[in-house]
Formats: sequence, C-alpha cells, structure tokens
Amino acid sequence: MSRQSQRRPAPADARLALALLTLGLFGVMALCCGFYSVVSKLVTGREETPPTPVPASALVVAYSPEKEPVFRALVDRFNQQGFKTSDGQKMWVEAVELDPQSMVESALSGNASFQAITPDSSIWLGQLDLAWSEQWGSDRTAVGETVRYAISPVVIAMWEDLAREMGWPGRPLSWQDLLDRAQSDAAFRWSHPSTSSASGLLATLAEFYAGAGKTRGLTIEDVQAQKTLDYVAALEKTVRYYGEGNEPAIIERALQEGRDFLDAFVVQEQMVVYFNMRRSTDRERLVALYPVEGALWEDHPLALLESAKPTPLQRQVFARFRDYLLAPEAQQLILQHGYRPADLSIPLDAPGSPLTPENGVTPSEPKTALQVPNASVIQVVRDVWWYTKRHTNVYLVADTSGSMAGDKLDQAQAALRVFLDQIKGDEERVGLIQFSSAVNLLIPLDTMARNRTALEIAVDGLQAGGDTALLDAVYEAYRRLQELGDPERINAVVVMTDGQENASSLSLRSLTRRLNADSPVRVLVFCIAYGRDADMDTLQAIAEATGGQVYRGDPETIRDLYKILSTYF
Amino acid sequence: MNRTRIIFFAIVGLAILIVAGGLVWSQLANRPEPIVPKASGQVLEVTLATALPVTDWVQEAAHQFNAETHTLEGQPIHVSIIPMDGLTAKGRYERDEMDPLPTAWIPDSRYLVELVNAAYKERLGRDVFLTDGEYRARPLAISLLAWGIYESRAAVLERRFGKISWHTIHDAAMAPTGWAELGGQPEWGYFKLAISNPRKNVSGLQAMVAAAGEYFGKTSLSVEDVTDPDFQRWLAEIMSSMSDLSGGTYTVDDLALFGYTTGDAGQLLESDLLVNMQGIQSRWADPLRIVYPEYVTWFDFPFTVWMGPETTAAEKNAALEFEKYLLSREVQEKALAYGLRPANPNVSVSGEGSLFDQWASQGVLSVIPRTTAMRFPDRDVLQALLRWFDLNVAGR
Repeated sequence: MSRQSQRRPAPADARLALALLTLGLFGVMALCCGFYSVVSKLVTGREETPPTPVPASALVVAYSPEKEPVFRALVDRFNQQGFKTSDGQKMWVEAVELDPQSMVESALSGNASFQAITPDSSIWLGQLDLAWSEQWGSDRTAVGETVRYAISPVVIAMWEDLAREMGWPGRPLSWQDLLDRAQSDAAFRWSHPSTSSASGLLATLAEFYAGAGKTRGLTIEDVQAQKTLDYVAALEKTVRYYGEGNEPAIIERALQEGRDFLDAFVVQEQMVVYFNMRRSTDRERLVALYPVEGALWEDHPLALLESAKPTPLQRQVFARFRDYLLAPEAQQLILQHGYRPADLSIPLDAPGSPLTPENGVTPSEPKTALQVPNASVIQVVRDVWWYTKRHTNVYLVADTSGSMAGDKLDQAQAALRVFLDQIKGDEERVGLIQFSSAVNLLIPLDTMARNRTALEIAVDGLQAGGDTALLDAVYEAYRRLQELGDPERINAVVVMTDGQENASSLSLRSLTRRLNADSPVRVLVFCIAYGRDADMDTLQAIAEATGGQVYRGDPETIRDLYKILSTYF
Repeated sequence: MNRTRIIFFAIVGLAILIVAGGLVWSQLANRPEPIVPKASGQVLEVTLATALPVTDWVQEAAHQFNAETHTLEGQPIHVSIIPMDGLTAKGRYERDEMDPLPTAWIPDSRYLVELVNAAYKERLGRDVFLTDGEYRARPLAISLLAWGIYESRAAVLERRFGKISWHTIHDAAMAPTGWAELGGQPEWGYFKLAISNPRKNVSGLQAMVAAAGEYFGKTSLSVEDVTDPDFQRWLAEIMSSMSDLSGGTYTVDDLALFGYTTGDAGQLLESDLLVNMQGIQSRWADPLRIVYPEYVTWFDFPFTVWMGPETTAAEKNAALEFEKYLLSREVQEKALAYGLRPANPNVSVSGEGSLFDQWASQGVLSVIPRTTAMRFPDRDVLQALLRWFDLNVAGR
C-alpha cells in the first residue's frame, strides 16, 4: 500500500474529534486565563488592575501633621479622579507628613524631596522666604503660587463648666483672663503647643503681646525687653504640657482622660469640633473661646516651592490639585472635618455643618485678630521662647548591658551627643545614670553650664557589659528627682535601652506603683527602645505610669530626640 | 502534511493570534490616550504669563478658544495660561528666570512692560516687548484701585471724618485704643488696614504710590518725595495698622476669607473687590462698601508679545490671534462678570451678568467721575518705596 493511497478524506468522526480538540484547546486557554486572573487577584488583593506605579510626574506635597485625616482623604480622592497631564500621564499626588519647621529647614537645604507644602499657617511661608532671600539675594523667593483651601482660628479650648465659671458666654474671655487664671490658681492646668506649630507660635505671640502691653506693633525691642521676658517666663511656668505640636494627640488624651488631663489648651477650632463629635455622652463638652484681644488664624496654604524646581508636569499636577481642593466636593469634605472652607459660597451654618454651638464653636467669631508681626520679629519670638519656657531637670539613663554592644550602643551614644548638643540654654539641668548589672550615677544633675563637658566625656566613655537592671535604674533617677523637689521645672527621665530586664531588685508592678503614687514632683519617663528584642510592654508600662512616651531608637529619633522630648515636656 | 493537520495548525495558530491580539489590545486600552490635535498640522502652542486679576477671565476665554480650534495658516493654535503676579513676572524676566519663556505676557499695567524693556535695553540695547506697531501692547481690560470697607466700619468713619481717604485711614490707624475711641464697637479691636504686600503684588505697591499722591497732593512723584522723613513717618503710621506683616500676599481673597477680623478697609483692585462682594456678604453678614479715591490708579492689563528669537514668527502671530479673540465683543462682555471694565470702547459696563450693575447699591460706579489719575513713577521711586517697606515694615 502506497503512502498516497493512505491519504483519504477524513471521516466525519475524525472531523468531530478535530473540532472537539480545538474547542478543548480554547477551553484550556480560557482556564489558564481564568487561573491567572484569580491568582493575580489573590496576590495583589485588588479587584482589577495591578497597583499603579507612582508616575515620574507625581507631585510630592508635605503636609503638617494636624490635618492628616482631611488631607489624606483629599489626596486619595484626587488620585482616584484619573486626571491626566498634557502628555497623557496619570496625575498623582504623594502626601508626606512633616512638621512645618522641618518643611522650612528641608526647603532651605535645597534637597527637599517635595515640590509643594501645606503647613498649618502662612507664617512658615514668610519664614521660608525670609531665610531664602538671606541665602540667595533679596529679590528671590522660595515660595511660588499659593492658595488657601481651609482656615481655622486658633482658640482656647476649655471645659464648658469652667468657661461658664469664668463668665462665658455672657462676657467675652481674653488671653489675659487665661493668663491671670494660670498665675492665680495653682491647680489650673493649661497648655499650648511648642512654637514648632502655628497654634503654639500664635499662642506664644499672644503672650508676648500681653507682656508688652500691646495688640499690634510688636517689635524686636518689645520682645527682648526684660519686662516682657519676665512676664512670659512667669507665664510659661504655669504651662503643664507643651506637646509635640501634635494637636490630634492632645485631643485623644482629652477624650480619654477628660478634665483630669488639662483645664484648657490652645488648639485650632477644628479640633474642638473633632472632640465634641467624638466625645462620649458622659464626657463634658469643650467650648472654643475666641480671645477678645484678637484671635489668630491658621490658614492652611498650599504653596508650590519654586526652590524645589518643579518640572512642568509637576506644575500641571499642582494646578489641577489646587483646583480640586477648591472644587465644591473637596470644600464640602473640608467643612465636614470641621474646618471653615475657603469657598465663601458655602455657609458655615448650613444644615449638616458641624460648625455649631453644640460642637462648641461660634461661626460668627472671632471679631478681630491680633496683628501677625513681620518674619524677623517672629523669629526672635521663637528663639526667645526657648529661654522663657519652663526649664527642665532631666536624668539621662543609659543601658550599657552586654546586649548593647556594637551598633546599639553607638546609636545610643550618638543620640545622647545630639541631645546634649541641642540643649541651647545653660540653665537646663541634666544628669547621667548608667546601668548594667548595677546602677551607677555617672554625672549628678546640674546645669549645663557646669555639666556639659563632663556629660560629653561620660557619654564617650560608655562601655557595654553585664546584665540589665532597667527597673532599678529608672527608679534611681525618679527617686533623685523627687528628692530634688523642684516642681517649678519640668522633671523627666529619658531611658535608652535595648533589652529585657533581668537584674533589678524591684518588680515592674512595684516600680509602676511608686511612679503612680502621689508625689510632690511630677516626673515624666520617656523610653527609647533599641533593637527588635526590646521589651516594649515593660517600657510602655513605665512610660504610661508617668504620662511619658515610648519611641523606637531609629536614626530619625536620634536626630529629633531632643526636639520630640523637649516639646513634650 | 495532510490537510487535517494543516487545518489543525491553522486553527491553533488563529487561536494564539486571537489571544495574543486580545492581550495586546488590553494593554493598549489601559494606556493613556495620546492627545491628538483636532486639526491637521503641528500645533502652535501659545503660553501666556497672565496677571492674577485677569487670570480667571483669560483662562475661561482660552478654554473656549481651544475648544473652537482656531488655526493660523492651517496650524491649530493651543493657548495655555500661566498665572503670575506682574511683579513676580517682571523679576523673572529681568533675571532671565522665566522658564519656560511665555509667548506673551499680560501684566497688570503697561508700566511693568516699560520697566522690563528698560532693563533689557541696558543689557541688550533693544526692547523685548514692542510698544508700537503690529505687536504693540494693547489693553485688554481696565480696573482701578478702590476702597473696600465694611459697611459697619464705613458708617463709623464717615460719621467721624466725613469721607474715606488716606488721611482718614491714617487718623483711624493712629487711634491708640482702636475702634472704641473712633465710635465703633470695642470688640472690633484696632483699625486694620488691608493692602497687598507691595513686594509680592503690584496693587500693594501702587497703593503706596496712591497714598503718597494724596499726601503730597500731586500725581507725579519723585525720589525726594518718597524719601521725605515726614512722609515716611506718616506712611509708617498707616502701615502699622496692617494686620499681617509676616510676608504673605494679602489680597481681596483674604479680606473675604478672614473678613473684618484681619481687615476693616483696604485700597484694593476694584475687580477683585467686586468678585468677592457676594462671598463677603454670605460669610460675614456685613456687606462691603466701595469708595473711589481722589487720586485714581488705573490698571490696563496689556497683551504684549515677546519679541526675542526664542519664539517663532508663527507663534507670535498665533498669540495675536488670541489677543484679537480677547478683544472681541463676546469675550469683552464676559469680562463684566469678573468685575473688569472692557477695554473695547463699544462694550458697555452694564449688561447681563455685570457686577457693576449688581453692586451699584454698594457704591460701585459705572463711570468714574474723577479725572485725577496717578502717574506711574520712575523705577527709582518704586525702588525707594520698596526699600523703605523692607526696612520699616517687613523687617528685612
């Protein structure tokens, strides 16, 4: 039989088999596609497309911490809009949190990783431009196009009963009333943030105005006059707590602790709304007091940084983001978060607006504002404040147990050196305790004028070895501060440790009971944890017993340690 | 290979092609759409650095212009707007920092064009913006400085001083205890002046010039005038009532946003005031009154084309096409809704959507009765004023 003879038309069943085979092939392909789709969903956790990579045209915007919820929400919604640049790239805004002071410093360094900023107040833009012009020439400015999308007056938040006791709402209250109360009533506890936030800076300005007996025309001479300094220093002695400029954290504590936390504190109006919308029914209401001498505004500018040399595409994203922030949808969102929207067509008292007396605020207030001085005066106020604020007694407690050997001890020493270097005032008192198997007082507490060199030498000489008597060391520092009995200063212990307690005579329960006990001097304990094996539960228990905090000892903490702690004191 | 196998492989190949094609299509579908010009030919891109008071109006016109697909010799024209204060633009032109270089510029006043030309003439020996001929600067819209003052405050000042002027404002600013001694309410605090930062905004600088004009009772100022110690003391007393000296650009937007808490009255651009009248009334429940000063400072927002070799002749001519469009009756009428007075003399300030009609009851005048116009001073006079401001007000 020839091969030719074997070629014959395929029978019907062969065609059927071929068709089935082809269909089967399609079926397999479809299954593969389906399998790929299911697996990709499981891996990415998304319903449709894989995550969009951040395009090169992305605009990075640094925002101040107090507006985290509203700004994140605005950025997320903007990024979901799918706006395109002129060359077809997706418009994208990347938000990074940064305190205003760091925004200014980073912009001045010339290597900022952001092209736009939205601090809490335009005051920072003036500070940046002033410093920039000093650096590069008087005609040059770092700040470019600026727009405001939300505003909020700085107010005194006070418990309603207390406000009524002081005459509110029948009598408008003043900065002076608050300051008089703080000076005359030893039990009165109030706070304002440090000058690294606009609320703190503006509250400090109000103090200097009061000290100079003015409501406008504050000069550098006024600020530096001994009478003003004495007045401000006396007032600052009545401040219980400065905070990190982190207004949400202050509100959270007010929500948790109520009246036990503070009697009054300076925040932006929006925070009072936030508190009252979230407080439990048994928690007293906070009311916003608009000082009669004049309030000050936080105006939340969004500014393009010309100094960061934004690309044309980033400029396009900025313009679109700017327009988005001013669009009705975004403006309504801003109002719902308790800010006053920049769009004047949105009534503050419209149905659904949270700016209501029930939420402790009065939309028709304030009636007038304090004059914001020029950038040079503001700079002097900030500098001088560091010398007039409450001074400190700080015991540094360093873990030199064997497990700290190597990088961890190096990092702790670096943090201590930076900490000491950043203490500007010679009147601050600092001491050093070292612990491993035992506790040693290396440098007794004394002013930096006398202790600075000894502390630096002692820090350089720290060596690792032995066990970890953490609890005994904390108590030793605490005991010494109690013995000193200096309530006019802020008393604090800063503990740097990596490990597990294993050599103390005290138990954790015993220590926290002693820290919690009523004592004449309030001592805050801050713990800096190095390494992954640090016993965070123990550190948290120690810090919480005193109202302090626990921080991870990463490189950022090393750089900012003094800043974080000193503003928290 | 037998026919069955050929058919088999053909079907498999086809299936692979279909699947591959589908994948390619899906990838392409996810990519952004390229921007394709509606008309044939290369797009003539016109960029316009535009003064802030006219930006919204020009932007709206540009959107309309782009949507209508205007062409020049077959090439479509596309217009982009770069909002920029006139003083900022002037500084960037003079320092060669205008990047990208716009095809044309709409500053607040032709005076700024002359200043930039003067700077380039010193360096290059020629103008970079022509002031005559086909490419000459032509005004697009007109506005002027006017007093905007909250009604409640205006009533008190008029009762006390009779009229609103720089002298009145000076006396109000000097009242040590503020509104209480002027006859107003104590909770209003001290008198607060609202003018733009002269370093950042042309109208702020021109407001200082206008104050000097009223002080000396003349329209043309010299360096000797603005360095006169008595005048400087008088001006410092006025400026001490500014509510924000921290370096921000105070604008009518701020007057509206922060209301009388930061500004009781200010000499600001009429168009900006008109645009914000409604918002001010809504937010602050105290309407703004418009009062025209004795010495009038005009702004003409000229359209001026960059003449340097950086732009092509076609781009320059494309810019002129947009200029013609802005001067058309239809677009000029739209300027009324932005509080701008049309430059086209055939277009009335009254009409549909005119803010001049809407706010006539608040003192807005269609025709300015006074004819005493301030002249723009020399560069040296402006520099002297700015230096004084830096040292005595801004603290720089």
